[in-house]
Amino acid sequence: MKRKLFVATIAASTLSACSTDAKNQLTNTFRNQLGLAQKLNQTVIGTRGMARLYRESDINEPFRVNGLPTPTDQRYEDAIRDGYRGYRLPVDGLVERPHTFTLAELRAMPLQTQITRHDCVEGWSVVGKWTGVQLATVVAMAQPKPTARFVVFHCFDKDDSGTEYYESLNLHEAAHPQTLLALDLNNKPLDPDHGAPVRLRIPTQLGYKSAKWVRRIELTDAFPNTLLAKGGYWEDQGYEWYAGI
Amino acid sequence: MTEEPTPGQRVYRHSIAARTAHWLWTLAMLVLVMSGLQIFNAAPYLDASYKTDPQHRILAFDAEMGPNNQPVGTTTIFGHTFVTTHLLGFTADGSGGESPRAFPASITLPAVQDLADGRLWHLFFGWVLLLAIVLYLVAGAIRKDLREVILRPSDVPKLLPMQLYYLRLRPAPPPHGKYNPLQKAAYTLVLFVFIPLIILTGLALSPGADASLPWLTWVFGGRQFARTWHFILMSILIVYFCVHMVLVFMNGPLNNILAMITGWYKLGKNDGVGV
Repeated sequence: MKRKLFVATIAASTLSACSTDAKNQLTNTFRNQLGLAQKLNQTVIGTRGMARLYRESDINEPFRVNGLPTPTDQRYEDAIRDGYRGYRLPVDGLVERPHTFTLAELRAMPLQTQITRHDCVEGWSVVGKWTGVQLATVVAMAQPKPTARFVVFHCFDKDDSGTEYYESLNLHEAAHPQTLLALDLNNKPLDPDHGAPVRLRIPTQLGYKSAKWVRRIELTDAFPNTLLAKGGYWEDQGYEWYAGI
Repeated sequence: MTEEPTPGQRVYRHSIAARTAHWLWTLAMLVLVMSGLQIFNAAPYLDASYKTDPQHRILAFDAEMGPNNQPVGTTTIFGHTFVTTHLLGFTADGSGGESPRAFPASITLPAVQDLADGRLWHLFFGWVLLLAIVLYLVAGAIRKDLREVILRPSDVPKLLPMQLYYLRLRPAPPPHGKYNPLQKAAYTLVLFVFIPLIILTGLALSPGADASLPWLTWVFGGRQFARTWHFILMSILIVYFCVHMVLVFMNGPLNNILAMITGWYKLGKNDGVGV
């Protein structure tokens, strides 16, 4: 009962953060001025070094769900129903060799297991054991063109207003050895709430960058031209694209 | 040769750099505290652990339904729960009503719950605070008036007599320079310990900083512990600010405030100059 009251507010506040009413509290021009610090933080902290590794005994089970619960998207419901057998992950855009992966293909690739901390922007953190394919391997197989600068993740998720969830990384962050396309969490295949069947896992940045329910990976030369084009769903709601801090 | 200061004499006490830095960090700390409480509200608890762990919770704000179906706000410190409805836990939400919210809208920035904007304010004004401190230290080092602020070993024996004077147990303070020994101790702690630590603990709770400077997060006990230290340091600086205000208002508020605006200060009976 106690918990419920608070969880309900956090959910409500997350949604209110999405509404344009709340966003009018600050003009966007002023918000852009404050946002100048982001460039500074990205330069000073950036994506350097390796995320801290933890022990088996540190793992949280159950693992707290971040972001939104299972999408209600029809395509996603169909994918769950057939056990993701029909799931395909195209890697396309500014690449020499577009390729569409099946889950079996991804599982047959060299897998990395990492026990790392998931840091939520809200301020909590939990430790989980992630197994997946290095994003760098998948991107390299598609051979990015020299003009490619960003890796964009399109997801099955949609919010109440029908806006599709997406997220993006630059090629440097995508090439980080701990940036994974995660398939398993805590020794089990991902469940729908945790982003099944494939989610991004980037332990050097805040949790909202680790997009769940990835359905397409696109390489682009600019931020994706979606909605406000801030480079991701949460970024469009006012959060920073650089989420290392 | 320094002239002997005479009471009533006007002296140039604060350089333009020191005054600018002073008001800049005053603004920065106000914004940082208010936006920090906004950010805190998104996860209204503190754990003494490297990850979120209710077993090591030292502070938590919560809201629950009371016996008469009235919402009750609670504050739990080291396992002791206090009812703090309207003040903490269940408070004003900035849209005319009350909600489960650790800190009320009147002291958060923005007033309504908005983590994204709170972070924008916080991460910008963190740089303003750093800039102000660097400006003060560099200008102070160049002008050599930083020496007048830093506590030195010869000041230590004067700390107790100064305390006795404040407690009215001694008629006059021990002879001192521009700042008395307790002021020097306080300013030295704030400038060289508390503010550097609050900046470092803030950095330490970032995943990017944990990867690039892993020793930093480690020395504070991990991410959640760093968040706890960050909050404790904020509380210490708020206490410092309150004491600072009391002393300014007890010791000629107009003279002190004008000095921090114009630079010129009228010496009182016990005021000194120099180191």
